[in-house]
Amino acid sequence: MKKKTGLRQKCFSLLDRDNVAGYVFTFPFIIGLIVFTAIPFFTSLYLSFTEYNVLSPAKWIGIQNYKEMFFEDKLFWTSFKVTFKFAFIQVPIKLTVSLLVALVLARATRLTSFYRAAFYIPSLMGGSVAIALLWKQLFSRNGVINQILGIFGLPSDTSWLGNPKTALGTLIALGVWQFGSSMLIFLASIKNIPASYHEAAIVDGAGPVRRFFSITLPMLTPIIFFNLINQVIGAFQAFNSSYLITQGKPLNSTLYYGVHLYNKAFNQFRMGYGCAMAWFMLLIIAFFTALIFRSSSAWVYYESEGK
Amino acid sequence: MKKRFLSLLCAAVLCTMAGCGGTPSSSAAPSNSSTPSANSSSAGKEASATSNGQTTLNILWWGSQTRHDLTTKMLEKFQELNPDIEVVMDYSDWGGYWTKLPAQVAGGQTPDVFQMDYAYLSQYANNGVLAELDSYIADGSLNMSDVAENIIKSGSVNGKVYAISTGTNAPVMLYRNDILEELNLSLPMNPTMSEYTAVSKAVYEATGLRDTFIVDCSDVIFRQHLRNYGLNLYNDDATALGFDDPKYLVNMWKLALQAQEEGWGLMPGEGTAVSAFDSMVMDAWSRFQNSNELQAYRDSTGKDIRMVMLPSMDDGTTPATFLKPAMFWCVGADSNVKDAAIRFIDFFTNSPECFDIVGIERAVPISSKMREYVTPSLDEVGKEVVQFIDYVSQPDKSSPLMNADPEVHQTIGELMSQYSEQVRYGELTDLEAAAKQFMEEANKIIADGVKAE
Repeated sequence: MKKKTGLRQKCFSLLDRDNVAGYVFTFPFIIGLIVFTAIPFFTSLYLSFTEYNVLSPAKWIGIQNYKEMFFEDKLFWTSFKVTFKFAFIQVPIKLTVSLLVALVLARATRLTSFYRAAFYIPSLMGGSVAIALLWKQLFSRNGVINQILGIFGLPSDTSWLGNPKTALGTLIALGVWQFGSSMLIFLASIKNIPASYHEAAIVDGAGPVRRFFSITLPMLTPIIFFNLINQVIGAFQAFNSSYLITQGKPLNSTLYYGVHLYNKAFNQFRMGYGCAMAWFMLLIIAFFTALIFRSSSAWVYYESEGK
Repeated sequence: MKKRFLSLLCAAVLCTMAGCGGTPSSSAAPSNSSTPSANSSSAGKEASATSNGQTTLNILWWGSQTRHDLTTKMLEKFQELNPDIEVVMDYSDWGGYWTKLPAQVAGGQTPDVFQMDYAYLSQYANNGVLAELDSYIADGSLNMSDVAENIIKSGSVNGKVYAISTGTNAPVMLYRNDILEELNLSLPMNPTMSEYTAVSKAVYEATGLRDTFIVDCSDVIFRQHLRNYGLNLYNDDATALGFDDPKYLVNMWKLALQAQEEGWGLMPGEGTAVSAFDSMVMDAWSRFQNSNELQAYRDSTGKDIRMVMLPSMDDGTTPATFLKPAMFWCVGADSNVKDAAIRFIDFFTNSPECFDIVGIERAVPISSKMREYVTPSLDEVGKEVVQFIDYVSQPDKSSPLMNADPEVHQTIGELMSQYSEQVRYGELTDLEAAAKQFMEEANKIIADGVKAE
């Protein structure tokens, strides 16, 4: 066997090292991260300080976009409020509903697996355009919802999506209906609670309600915490339902932050302004996530802490 | 040793992947060039001259299914007659087009030839996206000798031609003739607002179908109102609004309020239709559109849809209807196959082979020769459209095209929609004050826009 040349020797010994192999394996992901996340991320930060209409090069205008956002654009604050309302109403309802359904489905009966699938289906189709359009039909003035109300003798001529008071509620209902993914996570962790806890409580004479509040709920807090963060982030970024069903109407009552951002960026071709809005939303989401994390020590229970 | 092999394997896989990424622009383009491809952008300009000496021409348009089918056929014919040109087709609907085109422009992948709308023309021209076409007209490679001067001018910005009209159009009111006949109603060719209102009411009471025109209250409709009095939305050099009396806005809003109070105007959020076509089946009996769309509406709804001129205000002094370029063909300023692009536009403007296939789907041909050529061979619908254009071409029926819009036009349009919605929901009850406030805000936006340029 010939003696290896210096260069080859070096290459081989380099490749034999553990961390080099690691880098080679993660290389595709790192490329993806840089090209599709990091570069656009920082480009948008730069663009948020420019006037950029896509068609001609971006012009640096300092903090002008942010100034306009906070002090001149009335719709900015409208959309901000709408998004907050949306998030703070939808998230608690959605979490409660998904927890309740998970509790019911946790009991093993013959039909359980069917129901689990059935309740998950809306989430499978969740982001889809078809569901949004279906919702529009259901809640239209001559739609199914009004007809059902009519059967029970209730007022049946509400224009759910045309009335500024009910439009956002209708969209929230659509969001809540898609509770499947948080439900599945709840379901999995309910099944993970050791049966011995419940058995011991039953022996001690605790009823189902007491057991829920003293065993199930505390054991679920890490999962509630996880779902809460996920849902809050999702709610702040909501876009589809408003864009497809109401386009922010009526009277801007469903103008989500994301929709306003889209209008500015793609209808008025103000990409710089759109980027500025996106960065402000990032800060807001970071703030709430941090808040939830901070508060978690007060209400999230981890078994391993052994308190 | 194992580790080393694995690392090498990974590197090899990566290289192959990179290799794959590089090739499609040359290998994929010829094989599926005749079918509209969604990824024409990836086969963009680098592939403009393929190995077999052919020129690749990227064409992008918006439209309905009817248009996509006809255009695909027409472009196949174009390739047959120009074997050295390979066309890569790409299309979308109207809504998607205005995110797709800017994205391609921003990515340096501006199509060689693309459709353009009047509302966006000045914005694109001023930003240097469009190629100037004067020299091609001057040297005859773009033959405009059979086209009227004012039609050529309609595609110009600041005195230079950037866009060639695909055909002449007029705004129309489409309506469901089957319903009107059933109810023994009719609309005159040139209805007044009160005539239209009366029919609207009757149709609503009998069928529940409503009006979407009067209640729309958008900048488009408002323009129409102003034109009744010989005014424009903007002044001549687009530096301010073209009117200073709030009464025009107030009148438009009053009509809309009347329509929704009496029930025959569709309230926002009440529409159930998914597409504009569906809307004429499910929600509304009439619709504001352009004359070239008659065919598409008949095809998609399967109903007997007819057209009349847009209703004019009862006390209007000037005809409001106008003849306008339906849409334009433009050439990308950075295109390196401009000659091929011009050949295509010339083909579209002057060749019988083109109009044999597309007829008047992109409106009535701008070349007088082609218009004469195409008319006898048209089907019933086509003849109706040409007759309609002839009818409104009479001097007492139409007035000249409006001035070019300022770049901030989209913003003004959205501002007007905001105000109109507040009026329609009773948030703003003092219409006069609302109108004044709108005018003040709009004028400020226009002035700021002018300064920024």
